[in-house]
Amino acid sequence: MEIILALAIGTLTSCGVWLLLRPRTFQVIIGLALLSYAVNLFIFSTGRLRIDRPPVAGENPVDVMQLADPVPQSLVLTAIVIGFATTALLLVVMLAARGMTGTDHVDGQERDE
Amino acid sequence: MILLLILLLPIVASLCAALLPSNARNAEAWLCGGLALACTILVALQYPHVADGAVLHARVDWVPDLGLSLHLRMDGFAWMFALLISGIGTLVVVYARYYMSPADPVPRFFAFLMAFMAAMLGVVLSGNLIQLIVFWELTSFTSFMLIAYWYHLEVARRGALMALAITAVGGLALLAGVLMIGHIAGSYELDEVLAAADRIRAHRWYPALTVLVLLGAFTKSAQFPFHVWLPHAMSAPTPVSAYLHSATMVKAGVFLLARFWPVLSGTELWFWLVCGAGLTTLLVGASVALFQRDIKGVLAYSTISHLGLITLLLGMNSPLALVAAVFHMMNHATFKASLFMAAGVVDHETGTRDLRRLGGLARVMPITAALATVAAAAMAGVPLLNGFLSKEMFFAESIFAGQTALVRTMLPVVATLAGVFSVAYSARLVHRTFFGALSTQLTRQPHEPTRGMLLPGALLVLACLLVGMLPATTIGPFLATASRAILGAELPEYSLKIWHGFTAPLAMSFVALVGGIALYLLLYRRRDGALGNSPMARLDGKRSFNIVMVAMMRLAERLLRWTHSRRLQPQLLVIVAGILGLGLWIATRNPIATGTSWHTPLHPAFALLWLVGAACSIGAAAHAKYRRLAALIMTGGTGIVVVLTFAWFSAPDLALTQLSVEVVTLVLLLLGLRWMPRVSSAAPPARAALAKLRRGRDLALSVACGIGAAALAWVVMVRPRGTGIAPFFLENALPLGGGHNVVNVILVDFRGFDTLGEITVVGIVAITVYKLLRRFRPAPESMAPPRAQQAGQLATPDTAPDLAQLLPHGTMRVPAVLGRLLMPVAAVIAVFFLLRGHDAPGGGFVGGLVMATAFVVQYMVGGTQWVESRMRIHPQYWISAGLLAAGGAGVAAWLWGREFLTSLEADLHLPLLGTLHLSSTLLFDIGVFLLVVGSATLILVAIAHQSLRTHRRHDEEAETEAALQDGRAGGTR
Amino acid sequence: MNAFLHHLPIVPIAVPMGAAAIMLLFPEDRRGARLSIAIGASLIQLIVAFAMLVLTTDAVTSFWPEGIGVYAIGSWGAPFGIVLVVDRLTALMLALNAVLGLAVVVHSTARWDRIGVHYQPLLQFLMLGLNGAFLTGDLFNLFVFFEILLAASYGLLLHGGGKTRVKMALHFVVVNLVGAFAFLIGVAMLYSVLGTLNMADIAARWDTLPVADRGLAGTGAAVLAIAFLIKAGSWPLNFWLPNTYSIAAAPVAAAFANATKVGIYAILRLNSLVDTNGASFGEGWLFGLAVSTMLFGIVGMLAARQLSRLIAFTVVLSSGTLLGAAGMGSPSMVAPALFYLVGSVMASGAFFMLAGMTERMRTATAQAPDEDPGQASYDAFAMGVPPVPRSADEEVGIAIPAAMAFLGLAFVCCALLVTGLPPLSGFVAKFALVAAAIKAPDISATPAWQAWTLVTLVLVGGLAGLIALARAGMRLFWSVTDRNTPRLSVLESAPLAFLILVCLLLTAGARPAMRYFEDAARDLAQPRAYIHAVLGEPPVQAPR
Repeated sequence: MEIILALAIGTLTSCGVWLLLRPRTFQVIIGLALLSYAVNLFIFSTGRLRIDRPPVAGENPVDVMQLADPVPQSLVLTAIVIGFATTALLLVVMLAARGMTGTDHVDGQERDE
Repeated sequence: MILLLILLLPIVASLCAALLPSNARNAEAWLCGGLALACTILVALQYPHVADGAVLHARVDWVPDLGLSLHLRMDGFAWMFALLISGIGTLVVVYARYYMSPADPVPRFFAFLMAFMAAMLGVVLSGNLIQLIVFWELTSFTSFMLIAYWYHLEVARRGALMALAITAVGGLALLAGVLMIGHIAGSYELDEVLAAADRIRAHRWYPALTVLVLLGAFTKSAQFPFHVWLPHAMSAPTPVSAYLHSATMVKAGVFLLARFWPVLSGTELWFWLVCGAGLTTLLVGASVALFQRDIKGVLAYSTISHLGLITLLLGMNSPLALVAAVFHMMNHATFKASLFMAAGVVDHETGTRDLRRLGGLARVMPITAALATVAAAAMAGVPLLNGFLSKEMFFAESIFAGQTALVRTMLPVVATLAGVFSVAYSARLVHRTFFGALSTQLTRQPHEPTRGMLLPGALLVLACLLVGMLPATTIGPFLATASRAILGAELPEYSLKIWHGFTAPLAMSFVALVGGIALYLLLYRRRDGALGNSPMARLDGKRSFNIVMVAMMRLAERLLRWTHSRRLQPQLLVIVAGILGLGLWIATRNPIATGTSWHTPLHPAFALLWLVGAACSIGAAAHAKYRRLAALIMTGGTGIVVVLTFAWFSAPDLALTQLSVEVVTLVLLLLGLRWMPRVSSAAPPARAALAKLRRGRDLALSVACGIGAAALAWVVMVRPRGTGIAPFFLENALPLGGGHNVVNVILVDFRGFDTLGEITVVGIVAITVYKLLRRFRPAPESMAPPRAQQAGQLATPDTAPDLAQLLPHGTMRVPAVLGRLLMPVAAVIAVFFLLRGHDAPGGGFVGGLVMATAFVVQYMVGGTQWVESRMRIHPQYWISAGLLAAGGAGVAAWLWGREFLTSLEADLHLPLLGTLHLSSTLLFDIGVFLLVVGSATLILVAIAHQSLRTHRRHDEEAETEAALQDGRAGGTR
Repeated sequence: MNAFLHHLPIVPIAVPMGAAAIMLLFPEDRRGARLSIAIGASLIQLIVAFAMLVLTTDAVTSFWPEGIGVYAIGSWGAPFGIVLVVDRLTALMLALNAVLGLAVVVHSTARWDRIGVHYQPLLQFLMLGLNGAFLTGDLFNLFVFFEILLAASYGLLLHGGGKTRVKMALHFVVVNLVGAFAFLIGVAMLYSVLGTLNMADIAARWDTLPVADRGLAGTGAAVLAIAFLIKAGSWPLNFWLPNTYSIAAAPVAAAFANATKVGIYAILRLNSLVDTNGASFGEGWLFGLAVSTMLFGIVGMLAARQLSRLIAFTVVLSSGTLLGAAGMGSPSMVAPALFYLVGSVMASGAFFMLAGMTERMRTATAQAPDEDPGQASYDAFAMGVPPVPRSADEEVGIAIPAAMAFLGLAFVCCALLVTGLPPLSGFVAKFALVAAAIKAPDISATPAWQAWTLVTLVLVGGLAGLIALARAGMRLFWSVTDRNTPRLSVLESAPLAFLILVCLLLTAGARPAMRYFEDAARDLAQPRAYIHAVLGEPPVQAPR
């Protein structure tokens, strides 16, 4: 499983970076979305992978090392929320820029790519 | 302390002068003159204390740890300079009172003049080298302001900048040199540095620091090739030229050389550098002076050559030469200042300083003529005047100084030649101005000026005469004191007599006088018109300075174009490459252990899942440019795969949150798509090849990043899971945190602070979005309703919706009903998530998003106006309330004396209801809920509102640009 | 009283947050109410910050052991919970931030806070983010506060609207998002290796790190460093800085002057903590970046054609200087660097305000930043143009109105401060820095070439700044053609004077200030005390 997740993270990163370097605002925003997936998965993966061991404390004590690591999960939650907020902001700024400059080029004016 | 008082008086004068009204010429003059005079008297009174080689100290500690302190130190040499500065300063003030026109804003003038006086006194009285540099730079600055006093004149501005730039270079070099000296001597105190002289000369840094110090001195004293600024400084008012640029400031350089003479001199390096510079300057200055048209030009270049003479003497490594140098410093100050004053008088009376337009003024202004003539004679070195004496000493030294035969022969010749020149230009100056036929081409009728304008010059000329005739009695002791202060106890043999018998120096003087007169007559026979544009006259560094400046700017601009970009793509490229590169660099230079702990067996379904995910992301990457909607949907697909992954690896909270975020983000982007422009077709074919290249590079980089990320993730995941802080949370979530869902307990309790910050971010973003969009109009071409609506397939809810009716009409009727039904359900679900969060997946954030989505659905199906006619949502207040609730939950702990955000629990016993379990974490979570609802709604509504904006883009933009320009308050509407 | 002092560390975070939230409750037109809240909040922060300065001096070690205060949020002690740590460096940065913040808040009231909504709340949020970033002792929490101050700065950057600002804001947001990703990756890597997030705990565990894990941890630290360097404005990651600062509204730019220093602070902090076992956080490369940054700043200053852009480049230069001081890895450099930091922040803050005020001296024909053809910049050296023939009656100076005199004086002071010329604090700072650099090779492992490079660049930078500023000032104040004397209100002038006054006080009181910086530097050089103070806390106790 680890190998698959690693490959997945790699793929997402590649696509994200590729789009990040494109000249159209929409491409950039999609790229950032993909990148944030990759980053979240990466943070998540630092807690190692566990299946069917959600970090929910039952009454009967279990070996905590078998449960999933809750810290990365909480970090990812925070990261998701902040990512959501900044994505929204970026979208709006993008719209404003597009409205004022009349183009959706990241530099506000057409260039030959 | 007297010394402090001496320094303070001019400062006080400067401050008072600055505050006086701009037309109070007399008040200014009396104030400054009086204080300057007092200063002079104070200095003079100190003579008995320093006469016997004693040294006065006054010390105020500043930052002793750094070796910084205000340490005033007066020995004989400093005394002599202090007297020159304050005395001539007093005279210049009096002179300026009559020179400046009533319309001039004199406060600025006198304030800076006095400030300069203070700074100059500070330089000569410094007992600490760093302090010396402080005052040194201050003289540069005040000189800058005074040169540019008439800043409406382009020449004044240019001259000022030139002087500032060149002297600043020197100042910084000097600082570097002094830092080295201080490092070697272990202190910046002058006395200790003087004591450490041998160590400094022996140190391997000696050459470097000597060059640096000399650079400082040469720039200040206008030594070749740094002399270029001085002639252009002549665009300052004449009193300034008389004071700063002949008598005092330009002497700071040679003063410094004399100060460091015991430390740095006595080496070959010193001899060649200093003598070389001095000699060149002496010749260049003297010869160029001969060809100037402007009186002040002549005087400026003669000043340069005299400074060169002093430098030359200082470079000769002989004590006697030093004495001569000190002597000439005094003499030059006196006669040159008086000459400048005379020049000012001429300018003031005739309105010009052009030698070709002047002539015969002796008839109309005899006193001025007499004074100028005597002073010029002193400058030329005519016997019975002070200039003669020091020049004699100079000639004598030039004979005996050289070590090598070449020098022995060369020096005297050059010295005589320079003498010839100086006689010639002195003669020319006087003759052209005051003698011959009275000039006819004067704009006004010249006459003798008021006494006040003549008196200062007269006094100086008197000094020249006295010193010239009775040197031993008048100047002798002072000169001895000053020289002893530098040389130490034993002084060399010298006699201040006019007549030494028929000696070689006398012969040289004679040759110089005769030769000079002859040379002048020779030139006089040729018409002067030719002189102006002779090569020598054009040897001023203005053009070269400008060329350097502009070249510097151009170069800087080119470099900036290479090293900086206003475009986004290069920045991102650099940053991404930087992250990758630095990461790889560090990673490859250190061992990285790859563990082999496989926790989870491979599962085909998961592989399949991620095949889809990868396909989606690649598809999104491919289509994001031309098929936005498709790309968006595929991104959503990727998101779903991520959600499933979280769920798979036992992270239900993440799955839930990611899911709800996905939904909202998708809605956002969909709303955003509405305003994107039509996709522009492919790039212009012209640069197709280049574009391909760039794409290749980007592709390579992104693939590399992907591989890097994958490898990194792999390494991280297969490492054995160490014991960190994680077990603590798993064990204590229930007993200490009182919740089963560890992740949620961490979010609201253990690390609730993060959550507080996180929702703050959300809130900030929301109000930022509102802030931005309320001023913004969409692009004109995308204002038209969507094609579907144009085609009439849809009713257009935007156009005049009938707000009265129960349901929106048209195609949206059915969804509207559903949406309405959805509302309470969504509310229930939201609250449910909110409440169960502590024990099972959920929490305030998810609940909030659900609620917000419900609101947005209303907008979508009902149309903005229709919804807002029904219910008023004030998202701003929700945000504020959320922050206050969450923060309040934190502050509440204070009441129980606990730290911020400590979770408090209480069981409330109510009748009928039984016990109610209250926890401050619940309040916290409610805060999260409120804020998220408010923010998400605010953002979505703000975007939705765009569809209502009537098209007023251009005037809007004009208005914002205007607001940008002059910040005029046009904001709140 | 003591109870209040116990909660002192949280106040700089709680107060601006509460103030901003309450201000949101008032409608935009209740300016008076909003304003009084904002000013009140800023004043409280100022007082608290100075209280911390006092508490961290050796004078009152009784209250906080070794002058390091630790505040466990939610009563969860380190390393599990999030702790706020107040040591000298933190207190210093807080005070700096409070002073600048107050000045900006007051300055904005003149007119700036009316050209857009929610200005004052955003300003408070910015200060909240900065304060939090300086206070927190937890790496991930640092990320959160970074995001807060970034989000606030997005809003502030957009303040006033306009095409250029929106364009630049787009770039700013994207760049910082990438930076945030780097930050997250770095934190995650450190967590995966060390299993903790608390900085002191990281430092403690770093000592006992098996060699096999150095690579991963070091890589994580490096990726983290990139995030900080982006914020600190290190070339080549700082293209955004001049573009952004030069077009932001004047008080906003002034507030940003401190924001870059968060990156510097973070680097200093991690350098001190992770340095503990010699494996330096930024080995040679940090100094290399610093040098290139300084060169970039110098070039930019010389090429800049617009005052605010020029000032932005001086900010770059100061960042480079600080990075250089940090990169030399000599403890003796830190104290002067701190002195320099304080001075340069206030000076550039004041300078940005001044630039905003002088904008109005231009006639309305003046163009937006990047449309400026820039021909104006050459006029000082119009080549081959013969100087105007002077006649006596022309030689009559121009009486400067009071407003112009004030602006001119302020300009001179700011210029002296920024270029580090005598006699103001800039010179003391630069002198201390250079002197320390010359000594550094003798007392630490710093190579001599580094020391001399820094000395040279500092001096050359001062020279370039002087020339560029003199040019700009002459163009601004001495061009008789287009200039109308602006009407200045006390509210906008006072903060400017206030900041300059503080710099003067710093000059006069250089001795005690330097003492404090020395102590702060010592703490950074020996983080033992910090680690002990944080981890030595009594472990977690039950909340009830």
